[in-house]
Amino acid sequence: MKGDLWFQRVSVGTTWFWLAAFALIPNVMVVAASLLERGDRDFIRFALSLESYRRLLDPLYLRVLWNSLYLAALSTLTCLAMGYPFAYLLARVPRRYSRLLLLLVIIPFWTSSLIRTYAIIIILKTRGVVNNILLWTGLIQAPLELLHNDLAIFIGLVYTLLPFMVLPLYAAIEKLDPLLVEAARDLGAGWLKTFARVVIPLTLPGIVAGSMLVFLPALGMFYIPDLLGGARTLLVGSLIRNQFLAARDWPFGAALSVVLTAVMTLLLLVYARSRRLAYRGDLP
Amino acid sequence: MKRLLLALLFVASPLFAAEDQVVNVYNWSEYMPKEVLEKFTMETGIKVNYSTYDSNEVLYAKLKTIRGDGYDLVVPSTYFVNRMREDGMLLKLDKARLPNFQYLDPALLNKPYDPNNDYSVPYLWGTTGIAYNSKKIKPGQVRRYIDMWDPQYKGKVLLLDDMREVLGMGLKVLGYSINDTNEKHIREAYEKLRELMPNVKVFNAESPKVFFLEEEVTVGLVWNGEAYKAGKENLDIKYVHPVEGAALWMDNLVIPMGAKNVDNAYLLLDFLLRPEVARVISEEIGYATPNKAAMALLDKDFRDNRMVFPSQDDLKNSEFQIDVGEATYVYERYWELLKVGRN
Amino acid sequence: MKRLGRIGYLILIYLFLYCPIAVLIVFSFNDSQYSLSWKGATLNWYRVLLADGQLLRVALNSLMVALCSATLATAIGTVAAVTLFRYRFFGRRLLYALIYVLIMSPEIVMGISLLMLFVAIRLTLGFWTLLLSHTTFCIPFVVVTVLSRLSGFDRNLVDAAQDLGASEVQVFRRIVLPLLMPAVLAGWLLSFTLSLDDVIISFFVTGPGFEVLPLRIFSLVRLGVKPEINALCTLMFGLTLVFITLSQVLQKEKR
Repeated sequence: MKGDLWFQRVSVGTTWFWLAAFALIPNVMVVAASLLERGDRDFIRFALSLESYRRLLDPLYLRVLWNSLYLAALSTLTCLAMGYPFAYLLARVPRRYSRLLLLLVIIPFWTSSLIRTYAIIIILKTRGVVNNILLWTGLIQAPLELLHNDLAIFIGLVYTLLPFMVLPLYAAIEKLDPLLVEAARDLGAGWLKTFARVVIPLTLPGIVAGSMLVFLPALGMFYIPDLLGGARTLLVGSLIRNQFLAARDWPFGAALSVVLTAVMTLLLLVYARSRRLAYRGDLP
Repeated sequence: MKRLLLALLFVASPLFAAEDQVVNVYNWSEYMPKEVLEKFTMETGIKVNYSTYDSNEVLYAKLKTIRGDGYDLVVPSTYFVNRMREDGMLLKLDKARLPNFQYLDPALLNKPYDPNNDYSVPYLWGTTGIAYNSKKIKPGQVRRYIDMWDPQYKGKVLLLDDMREVLGMGLKVLGYSINDTNEKHIREAYEKLRELMPNVKVFNAESPKVFFLEEEVTVGLVWNGEAYKAGKENLDIKYVHPVEGAALWMDNLVIPMGAKNVDNAYLLLDFLLRPEVARVISEEIGYATPNKAAMALLDKDFRDNRMVFPSQDDLKNSEFQIDVGEATYVYERYWELLKVGRN
Repeated sequence: MKRLGRIGYLILIYLFLYCPIAVLIVFSFNDSQYSLSWKGATLNWYRVLLADGQLLRVALNSLMVALCSATLATAIGTVAAVTLFRYRFFGRRLLYALIYVLIMSPEIVMGISLLMLFVAIRLTLGFWTLLLSHTTFCIPFVVVTVLSRLSGFDRNLVDAAQDLGASEVQVFRRIVLPLLMPAVLAGWLLSFTLSLDDVIISFFVTGPGFEVLPLRIFSLVRLGVKPEINALCTLMFGLTLVFITLSQVLQKEKR
């Protein structure tokens, strides 16, 4: 049919055009910008320079990157520690409850994280819920400093991102055949061994997917440190934002973004690897 | 499918409808009473789109990004009026369209940052000093900037998220001018400020008064109007002009080159210069008005409030903030280092 | 005993997830401007909220962008998914990779990259840049949703239709699309919600004349905890509940 080729061409063409125009080209521009100079009155001067990357290697900025990675990793591990047992128990819940209980996890997942961060402010501030309760019960004499520091950011990240960890975990654990677990136990393996040798490897894609859905946003969400953080914390998301908002150093902001993207690509490769490991050849 | 497209068009139709009269204002946060803008809209039918920023640098960067097309009225400080004027970012003002310009205090006009006020109209002026919670800190305990360095204030200090204000404080503490362009001096100020960092809980210029009212901080470097507004809600919050010398500044109304609603901008500008309107702005926001006629209308208690209208004594070592030209890069570098470095 | 422990842990986590929001909702009805002590119930803050003209305009802006970008993203995404699934063409693997990269891409990088693009081509920041940006970040989600449904697709149906002489267009319209409808609608709903909630990308690509709700909330929240904001957040949360219920109903019909 003559129309067929046309239809195919248009479909492919549209897809290619959109993604090339709004995904490929902008990212190429970012890489290019990172290799140019900061402009005086404009943002970018068209002169090649590695100045931005050189600045990045300054221990001060490396420390910012390190702190961001550390905080993101800590949040991810905490979400994993909290979320895995939760997802496991959820998957073992009788059928008639599982729909409702899953819905109760999906609701915070869909609620705007800005709103949830704001809710945390109310809880943590000096005259907030936690302090009020602790003061009222007499457990403390003066209010605790729970807001505008690293602790608040950590709590905010875990609180906001926990559902992102739970849902992929749940999906992976649900697929786990309980007979496999039973078989392992029948063969004499203790709980720990069963977990380490059977459960974890089979749910690995879920673990990795959940971890990435927590780790990557934790690196880039600047509004959480903005609202919950203090003077002593500077994370890479806020740093990038500042370059475009006030500092007008677009090449430097671009260089930071390139580094962030590089980290993400690395993790994607880890994810691909983990899938291969989990299925050892027989990919679904 | 067709129905879907029709529904979409219906929803998107407001986009294609004729725009009613608007004026886009970009101003410092908490710097304009809502009722003033509402009154303006009632009188003229022009809708005001109002958004805010918390530093001159943000204003400048935003205007550069959108190439001046999008805002009709913005409010830079004097030293930025200078820079924006030189960059050709401002529209030359036709004074004939601003009959209320006559009410301004001549002593504040025709200054070096904008000769003849060709490009700007003074809006409000004020000082930068120290606010403190008198319930936690006895009056007289903190009289100088350097007092905030005391370890007892660990994690209790707020600093404005403003490069010139903070580095200016550092310079003042060392006895230099807040407009110093000497790189060595600026670096010394930076080193001195690094010593303060363990005490600093937060940098904020958007709404410093919130941190005082919520008792997150007990002392800090703030603008006098912020302290005034905080004091209205909590009588314990007080303000003092530091012995080393408070900074003096003035913010000005300008029209960016490339603004789309220039006529409406002029209307709003003239409206804001009305003595009665200027009075309301000053009393609500807590800063001093440069409008001489408005000064005569001010409530007596407000007029006598030394927080807003400091005495000669209060301003003993004060300096006006001016543009530091090329040295801006030095300031920027050390400001970034201060914000990035942890202690 | 072990059973109690298990239920206890589940409840604990649920409490963790819901307490802050519950507090938020409760205090949106509190008749007190500042303190967090209960002073009586009131609908005052909701009244103040609904009287705010600028806020309503901003909400309408968000709605417009969400509707348009969700629809556009669904259209493009569905076509893209079908194309990737059915046809073999040059650069197919690259396109697949690009889509996954887009999903995983940190939003802040997408935000600044699009800002650079728009500034370079001198496109005025506002509704159109928001539309283009939101559509772009929604497309991958639509593609994944539709692809996952396509993977369970019965090729025999298509073969039969083609044997009977149907053209590609007809196959798409009469067979593929109807069967994909639940996934397409799910993709639309997903895009709509993502667009409505987006903060990071909107932050970079929106312009002076066009504000969206999440950014408005962001600037309000920075001015401190206020009961009006509590009311606004409660309303938004209610809206989310409505949407989730809607999508659940849709999912049920899928069966």
